[in-house]
Amino acid sequence: MDVSINDFVINVATANGTGSQSSNLILLNSMFEMGVPVSGKNLFPSNISGLPTWFIIRASDQGYQAPGDKTDIQILMNADTWFKDIEKIESGSIIIYNENVKLPVERDDCLVFGLPMTKLARGINPKMAKMIANMYYVGIIQHLIGIDQVALEKAVNRQFKGKKTAVEVNLRAIEEGRKMAEEAITWESPHIVEARQKKEGTFLIDGNEAAALGSIYGGVNMLSWYPITPSSSLAEGIIHWLPQLRETEDGMSTCAVVQAEDELAAAGMVLGAGWAGGRGMTCTSGPGISLMSEFIGLAYFAEVPGVIWDVNRVGPSTGLPTRTQQGDLNLLREASHGDTEHIVLIPGTVEECFEFGWKAFDYAERFQTLVFGFSDLDLGMNNWVCSGFEYPDQPIDRGKVVRSADQMAAIENYGRYRDVDGDGIPYRTLPGSGLDPILYRGTGHDEDGIYSEDPEVYQKLMMRLKRKLFNARKHLPGPVIREEAEQDVGIIYMGSMENSIQEIDDIIEETGLKVSQCRVRAVPLHPDIEAFIERHNRVIVLEINRDGQLYGVLRKELPINLVPKISSVAYSDGMPPRARIYAELILEVLKERAQ
Amino acid sequence: MSKVIKLNVIDRPKSDYTGGPSSLCPGCGHDQISGVIIQACWENGIEPSRIAKMSGIGCSSKTPAYFLGQSHGFNTVHGRMPSVTTGANMVNKDLVYLGVSGDGDSASIGIGQFIHAIRRNLNMVYIIENNGVYGLTKGQYSATVEKGSKKRKGAPNEQPPIDMCKLAINLGCGFVARSFSGAKKQLTSLMKAALSHNGMAVIDVISPCVTFANNDESYKSYGYVKTQTEELHGVDYIHHFQPMNEVDIPEGGFEDVELFDGSVLRLETLSTEYDYTDPTAAISALHMAEVDKKHITGLLHHNTDMPTADEDQGLIDTPLCDLSEDMLRPSRERHEEIMTRFRG
Repeated sequence: MDVSINDFVINVATANGTGSQSSNLILLNSMFEMGVPVSGKNLFPSNISGLPTWFIIRASDQGYQAPGDKTDIQILMNADTWFKDIEKIESGSIIIYNENVKLPVERDDCLVFGLPMTKLARGINPKMAKMIANMYYVGIIQHLIGIDQVALEKAVNRQFKGKKTAVEVNLRAIEEGRKMAEEAITWESPHIVEARQKKEGTFLIDGNEAAALGSIYGGVNMLSWYPITPSSSLAEGIIHWLPQLRETEDGMSTCAVVQAEDELAAAGMVLGAGWAGGRGMTCTSGPGISLMSEFIGLAYFAEVPGVIWDVNRVGPSTGLPTRTQQGDLNLLREASHGDTEHIVLIPGTVEECFEFGWKAFDYAERFQTLVFGFSDLDLGMNNWVCSGFEYPDQPIDRGKVVRSADQMAAIENYGRYRDVDGDGIPYRTLPGSGLDPILYRGTGHDEDGIYSEDPEVYQKLMMRLKRKLFNARKHLPGPVIREEAEQDVGIIYMGSMENSIQEIDDIIEETGLKVSQCRVRAVPLHPDIEAFIERHNRVIVLEINRDGQLYGVLRKELPINLVPKISSVAYSDGMPPRARIYAELILEVLKERAQ
Repeated sequence: MSKVIKLNVIDRPKSDYTGGPSSLCPGCGHDQISGVIIQACWENGIEPSRIAKMSGIGCSSKTPAYFLGQSHGFNTVHGRMPSVTTGANMVNKDLVYLGVSGDGDSASIGIGQFIHAIRRNLNMVYIIENNGVYGLTKGQYSATVEKGSKKRKGAPNEQPPIDMCKLAINLGCGFVARSFSGAKKQLTSLMKAALSHNGMAVIDVISPCVTFANNDESYKSYGYVKTQTEELHGVDYIHHFQPMNEVDIPEGGFEDVELFDGSVLRLETLSTEYDYTDPTAAISALHMAEVDKKHITGLLHHNTDMPTADEDQGLIDTPLCDLSEDMLRPSRERHEEIMTRFRG
C-alpha cells in the first residue's frame, strides 16, 4: 500500500460548544511542533452551543494551506451530521468515530475504528466527560499517523497553559485512546507524519491577535468596539495585551477602551479621539461598516485621522456570520455618500496584520483621513504559521500637526484646510493648544475652516482631497510580485487568498502555463500594479466574492487601454478558498479569452 | 477718556469668548443661550483654549460657530455628538467639554448616545436647546413636544413627549437642570454650576422657535413658558475664587450646593422645600408639572458620588494625546521578550 507522508486532510465533525477546539488545536500544534507544515480551519456556526462544527487540518509538505479537495481522515463525533459526513467520505479513507453516539458506520470500503469515547471519558472525570471524550480521537490519530509524544505533550501543555490537573487529565485520555488503537487496529494507516526541521522561530497565531499587537505598537490611545463576529477577538486581543505592553509601572494605562453601545458610537469615538489628537481605532465587520458610513464620510471631509479594521464575513446583510469572504472592498473604498474614497490596507499574512496594524495609524495621521484594515474571517480567526513580527522600522509619524506658536509662525498663510505644501495635505492644530482653533464640520468649508457654500471653494476642496489620496498611493504598501520570465498569465489577488495562491498557481502550471502573481496590499492602487499588468499578456483578477470587487477597483483606476487585459475570476461560497475551484475557474476564463 | 475693559479672573475680556455672527432667525432663543454660554465661561474664568465645543446637527448644533471663537469645536453628525465627545475625552481628559444639542438631535436619533453618555458619566456639559420642532427642515414636530401642543401651521401633536430631564434622572445623571432661554440669570447660574460639575451635567433649556412654534398654542412658545413656568428655587452661583463673606446672604431659606471645583450653587427656597438630592422628588415634581401643563425650572437633581468615564479607565495623568513615542510603543527589548514567549 502506498503511504503518503505529510500530505493529508483531517476533518473533525463535532458540535459547537463541546470543547473540541482544544483537541483540534492540540492535533494542529503537535504536528506543527514536529515541523510538519500544517494549517487549521475552524468552520463554526453562528451559535453558542449545539450546532455542527468542523475543523479541518491539512498537512502539506508543499506548504499548501487551503482546505484540501477531499478528506483523508474523518472523525465523527456529531449525530446531527453523521450520515451526511459519512456520505462525503471517499473510498479508502480513515473513519474514526465515537461509539457512544450510537449510530452506524456502514462503510466497508473505508478503514473504520470506533471507541466509546464519552463512556471512557466518564471514567476519568464524569463532569468533564463531554470535553475529555475529544481527547480519545487525538490519541487514536497519534497512533495512526505517528505523532511524536514530546511534541504532543508540548501542545497539550500549551493548550492548557501548563495547568497541571488539566494537562494530566487530558494526557491520560489521549494515552488511553492511543493504547486502545494500538491494540485493536490491525490495518496500517495510509497517511503518516514525518518530522521536518521546524523553521527556526516560527509559531502559530491568528490574524486578529497579530493585528491587535500591531495596533498596540502603533500607539493606539482609544479602542472603541462593539462585539461582532469575526472581529471581536481583535478587540479582545488588544484588551488582553494592554496591561502587559501599555501600562506604566504603577499600572496606569496609555490606552482607553470603550465598549460602545453600537457601531455608530464606536465610529464616533474614533473620530473624537482623532480630532483631539489621539490615535483612535475600532474593529468591526461588514454590517458595522454599513452603520459607520456616515461618520466615515465626516472623517474624510473634515480630515480627521482614525483607524477601522474590517474583518470581513459573508454578506450581504447578516449573511453567513461565521463564514469568510472578501466582500467589503467596494464598501470600504467608497464608504459614505457623495464623492469619497478611503485608504484600505490589505494584509495577506499574519506578519502583515501586525505590520499594517501599526502602520495604519501613521498613514491615518500622515494623510489626515480614515484608514481601513481589511482582513477576513479566514485570516483573522484561523491559526497561521508566523515567522515572528518585525519591530517597527520607522518611528511613529504624527503627520502635520502644529504644536507651538513658533511652528505656526513658520507657516506662511496657515489655514486648517489650505494646501500650504502643495501635496494636498494641510496642517492642523489640536484642541487645547490655543493655536488657530476652528469648528470642525461636515458642512462645506473654506481653507480656513469657515462655513461656505461657494461653488469654487467647494470644487477646489474636493479636488484637493482627491489629490491628497492620489498622492498617498505611492506611500502605501506596494504589491508583492512573484514573476515568471514568460510574463504570460498574471494573477492579481489580495488578502487571505495568499494562503491558496501557490496551490492554485501549481494546478494551473500543470497545464503548461506560466503564472506570475501580484498581491495587492492597499488601495488606492500602487503604480507597480499598473506596470505588472502592462508587462503581462493576460491578467486574471482573483478574489473571494461574487462581483469581482477588486476587478472593479482596477477597472476604475487603470488607464483605459489596460482594462481589456484584465479578466475577473470571483467566487464565494463562504468557505476558505479551495485551490482547485479557483484554478479551474481561471483555466475556464483563459480558455474563453483564447477563443 | 479711554474705555475701561472689564477682565475676568484670568485677565481676559469677554470679547475673548464671543464667536461669529449668528445665522439663526432673529429673536431665536438659541442665540440667548449662546450669550449665556459666553457669559458663563467668561465669568468662570475658563481659558478658551481649554474648552471643546461639541454639537450634532440642527439649529442648536450650528451655534458653536457663534460663541467661543477661540475654542476648538466639532460640529459632528446628527445625534452623535456624545460618542465623538467620548472619544475626545478619552484621549484628552483635561479639556472642558461643552456640548450643544437640540431636541431633534438628542431625543430621536441621538437618544441612544445621550443615554449611554449618561450611563458612562461622561465628563461634559450637555445642553439641550429644546423647542419641540425641527427648525432647519421647516417646523416638523420633535419627540419632546407635549401632547396637544400646536405649532403655527398644521394639526396639533398627538403623541406624548419624551422628557429628557426625567430620562436623565432615571439614568442616574449627577446634574440635571431645566431652564428657559429667556431666564438669563437662572440659566447663567445653572450653566456656571454645570461647568463646575465633575461628570455629566444635563441642562434642558426650553428655547422657543420664533419662526415655527411661537404661537400661543405651543407649550414651548415664549409667551407660554413665560406664564406657565414655576421656578423650583431662586438660583445663584458663587465662584470658588469669590470668598463667601463677600456674597450677600438672601433673606429666607436657602441651601448651598457644593460643586466639584469648590464653587457653590445657592438655591433660594421659594414656595416649597425641594430636595434636589432625591431623584424621586425630581421625577414626582416633573410629573406633577406635566399634569398641570406647566414647566418647572431650576436644579432638578444633583449627585456627585460617581466616577466619570475617564476616571473609570485608570489612565495615566498626562492626556493620552500628549504622550511621546516611548510611552506609546513597547520597547525593542520588550518586543524580543514577547516574541520569545510566542516561540515558547
